[in-house]
Amino acid sequence: MTRFRVLTLTAGLALLGVLAVTFAPAIGQAPKSGGILNVWHRENPPSLSIHEEATISTVLPMSACYNNLVLFDPLKKQESEATIIPELAEKWSWQDGGRTLVFFLRKDVKWHDGQLFTAKDVKYTFDVVRAAPDAPAKLRVNPRKGWYDNVVSIDAPDAYTVLFRLKRPQPSLLMMLASGYSPVYPAHVPPAEIRNRCVGTGPFKVKDYRQGELLDLVKNPDYFVKGRPYLDGIRYIIVKERGTAVAAIQTGRIDVGFPGEVSKAASESLKAAVPQLVVTVASQNVNDNLIMNIRRLPFDNPKVRKAISLAVDRRAYIKAVHQGGALPGASMAPKPFGVWGILEKDLNQLPGYGDPAKDKAEAKKLLAEAGFGPGNPLKVEMGTRAIAIYVDFASFIVDQLKQVGVEATLKQIETGVWHPMVTRREYHMGTNLTGIGPDDPDANFYENYRCGSPRNYTDYCSELVDSMMDKQSAELDPKKRLQLVYDIQKKLEEEAARPLMGWRVDYFTHWPYVKNLIPHQSIYNYWRMQEVWLDK
Amino acid sequence: MRTYLLKRLGIALLTLFGMSIVIFVLMRLAPGNIVDILYEAGGYVDPVAKKELTKELGLDRPIVAQYLSWVGDILQGNLGKSYRYDVPAWQIIKPRIPITVELAILSLLVAVLLGVPTGVVSAVRQDTTLDYVLRVISLAGLSMPSFWLGMVIILGLVAWAGWSPPMLYVPPTQDFKVHVLQFLLPALAVGYRSSALLMRITRSSVLEVMREDYIRTALAKGQRERVVIWRHALKNAILPIVTVIGIEFAFLIGGLVVTETVFNLPGVARYLVEAILWRDYPIVQNLVMFIAIVVILSNLFVDMLYGWLDPRVRYG
Repeated sequence: MTRFRVLTLTAGLALLGVLAVTFAPAIGQAPKSGGILNVWHRENPPSLSIHEEATISTVLPMSACYNNLVLFDPLKKQESEATIIPELAEKWSWQDGGRTLVFFLRKDVKWHDGQLFTAKDVKYTFDVVRAAPDAPAKLRVNPRKGWYDNVVSIDAPDAYTVLFRLKRPQPSLLMMLASGYSPVYPAHVPPAEIRNRCVGTGPFKVKDYRQGELLDLVKNPDYFVKGRPYLDGIRYIIVKERGTAVAAIQTGRIDVGFPGEVSKAASESLKAAVPQLVVTVASQNVNDNLIMNIRRLPFDNPKVRKAISLAVDRRAYIKAVHQGGALPGASMAPKPFGVWGILEKDLNQLPGYGDPAKDKAEAKKLLAEAGFGPGNPLKVEMGTRAIAIYVDFASFIVDQLKQVGVEATLKQIETGVWHPMVTRREYHMGTNLTGIGPDDPDANFYENYRCGSPRNYTDYCSELVDSMMDKQSAELDPKKRLQLVYDIQKKLEEEAARPLMGWRVDYFTHWPYVKNLIPHQSIYNYWRMQEVWLDK
Repeated sequence: MRTYLLKRLGIALLTLFGMSIVIFVLMRLAPGNIVDILYEAGGYVDPVAKKELTKELGLDRPIVAQYLSWVGDILQGNLGKSYRYDVPAWQIIKPRIPITVELAILSLLVAVLLGVPTGVVSAVRQDTTLDYVLRVISLAGLSMPSFWLGMVIILGLVAWAGWSPPMLYVPPTQDFKVHVLQFLLPALAVGYRSSALLMRITRSSVLEVMREDYIRTALAKGQRERVVIWRHALKNAILPIVTVIGIEFAFLIGGLVVTETVFNLPGVARYLVEAILWRDYPIVQNLVMFIAIVVILSNLFVDMLYGWLDPRVRYG
C-alpha cells in the first residue's frame, strides 16, 4: 500500500472516530457527578410524612429522602414484579407456600442522624402502618392501612432479617412495598416529628424547608450506595401558578415539570418554543371517576347507577375535557402503560364505551324502569372541588346527564371542605380523581372497592366482588390472575361501582441535560433521584 | 396634637378590637376546621386521634374561651403556633412581611412616579390630544387586572427575551440587581393600575386648583408656568392625592395575593389565602390583625401628613 493510501486511511478512520464520539447516543455516556436539579412543585406538601398522606405532593419530594425495602427499577419505565430491585433489603424470598415473605437487610445503612438501620425499623414502620394492636406508635391519618390487612405479624428474629407473615399468599405485597408510598421510617423518631422533617436513609437529606417556597435537598455523603447520588442537590421550587411555572421551564429556570401539571396544550407550546425540550407521554396511574353515594336515594338502585354510567360517552369526555390527553379504561390502568388493563375489545362492551346513542337510549330505559322520566326527572346534586380541572369534568357530566333527562345541579366546594364531606359521605354525587400507588390490583381494589374500606367513597359493597378480590390476590399463576382481574374490572363497571371516565396521560417535560429521570406508569414511584444526573 | 393622637389611638384600639371579633367569628363560621381537613383528607379517620387533636388545639372549648385565650396570648406577645405546620406562627409570618411591604412600597413608588406627573400634565393640557391620550392610558390601567398584566409581562419576556424572573426569592444582600428586577416587574404591573387611579385624582385635583384666583394672579405677575404648577398648584392639590396614596398602600398589603402568586413571591398576602383554605386560625387571625394595624397606621400617617403639607390643618 502506498504511503498516500495509508495516510488517507488513517485520516478517514480518525474522522470516523471523531464523528462517532460526537454523535454517539447518550446511553453510552458515563454519568457526571455534580449540579443542582430544579424541579417544579405545584404546592406546599400538606406534610413531609409519606405514610400519612395520599398525595403526590408529599411523595414526590420526600421519596429522595427515604428508602424502601425494595423498589421499582427507576431506569425501567413499565413497573412490574420483574422490575423490582433490592434497596434496604439485599434479597428476599417467599416461604411457606407464599405465606411468609422474608427480607434479608443490608448491614451498611445509617439514618441521616447517624443511627444504624436495623430490622427493628422495618418492623416498627409496618406495624405502625398496618395499625397492629401492639404498634408502638399511631399515625394521625393512615390512608394505606388496608394494604396490609393480610399481614398477621411482622417478626425481626435478628437485626437484619424481617419476616412478614400472611394469612394467605399475596404476590402483590412485594409490589406495594416497592411503591413510593412505602418508605421505611426510623423507629427512634416519633411520627409527629416526621411530618415536619425527614430522618431517612435516602440519597438526599433536607437542607432547608421554607413553607410555600422551597424544599431544598442536599446529597447524603454517607449514602450506602457508593458513588450515588450523582446530583449535589435537588430544589423543589413551589410555584402555584401554572403559567408562571411553564414559563420558568421554557427559560430553564426549572429543569423538570411536575407530573400531571403540564397539559397537552402547554407541552405542545413548550416544544414549539424550545424544540430540544424532552416531552415523554406517560401514564399517571390517576383516573377520573364518578362517585355516587349508595347510601342516598336513588343511588341505592343499581339501575340508576348503571343509567348514569351509560349516559356518559367516555371517548367524548376524553376529547372534550382532556383534548385527547387521557385513555379510556376500566378500574385498572389501560395498556399500553398499565399491565392489568382490559383489552379494547372487552372495553367496548362496557357501559359508556360503546355506541353513545345506544348507550343513552338504554340509560333512559333504565331510568324509566326506576320510575324516572320526562314527567318525573331524576334530580341530583353534583358536587365537585372548586378547581378548574374538576369543574371542567363536572360540567361535561352535567351536560351528558341532561341528554338522558337527568337534572344535575353543579355545586363547587372548596377542597378543604370537599374531602371531609366525601369521607363523611355527606354528598349525593361527585367528580373524583383517584391515584393509585403501584399499578397493582390489590393496592387499587382493597383501597377503593372493598366493602367497608374508608376510601371506598361510594360504599359500594358486593360480597361476590370481595371474594373475587381475595381470589385474585392469592393467585400465584400470573395468567389466571390476569383473567380474574379482568373479570373484576368488568363487574365493577357493569355495576357502576365507581364509573371510570378516563386515565390521565402525563406530558412529562424536562430539559435534555436531565438524564435518567424516566417516568413510569405511576407518578408515585420514580422519584428516588439516585440515578439522575445532569449533562452540563 | 397630643390630644388628637390619644383620640386616634383610642379609636385604633376600638377598631382593632372590633376587627379581632369579626375575623375570629368569620373563620369559625366557615365550614370545616383544621382537624377535619387533616383527618378526613386521607380517608381513614382515627376518631380517638381526631378527638385528641381537637382538644390539643383547644377547638373543643367554648368560642368565647377560645377568643379570650387568643387575645390574652397576643397581648403577651405570643402569636401561637401554626395548626398546619406545628411551628410558631411568627416563624412563618416574619420572613414574609418584608417581601409584601417592599412590593407594596415599590408599587406605590411606581404609581406616584407615573401617576402624579401624568396627572399634572393632563390637567395643564386639558382637552388637548395629549390629555386624551393620557386619559386613555389611565383608563386602560384601571381596566386591566394587575395579575393579568403580570402574566402578560412574564410571557412577553419569555417570548421576546427568553428570560423569566427568578422563581425563588432573592434577598437584596444576595444579589441586589436580581432582587431589583424580581420586584420591579410586579411593581410595574401593580403600580400601573394604581398610577391610573392617582393620575385621575391628580388631574381633577390640579384642575380645581388651577381655577383659583391666586394661580391666575401668579401667572399674570409673570411667574413661569412650570413654577406656578409645581410649586403652587400641586402643593395645594396634594391633599386628596396623599389620601389616595394612603388608601392604596393599605389595600396593597392584603391585595397583592394574586400578584405574589403570579410572580411567585413568598409574601404575606399569598400565604394568607393558603392559611384560610387550611383553616389555620392562628396564622389567619394574626395576619388579618397585622393588615388591620397597617391600615390604621397608614391612615394615621396620612392624617398627620396633612398637617405638615397644609399649615392650615391643625389638630387639637
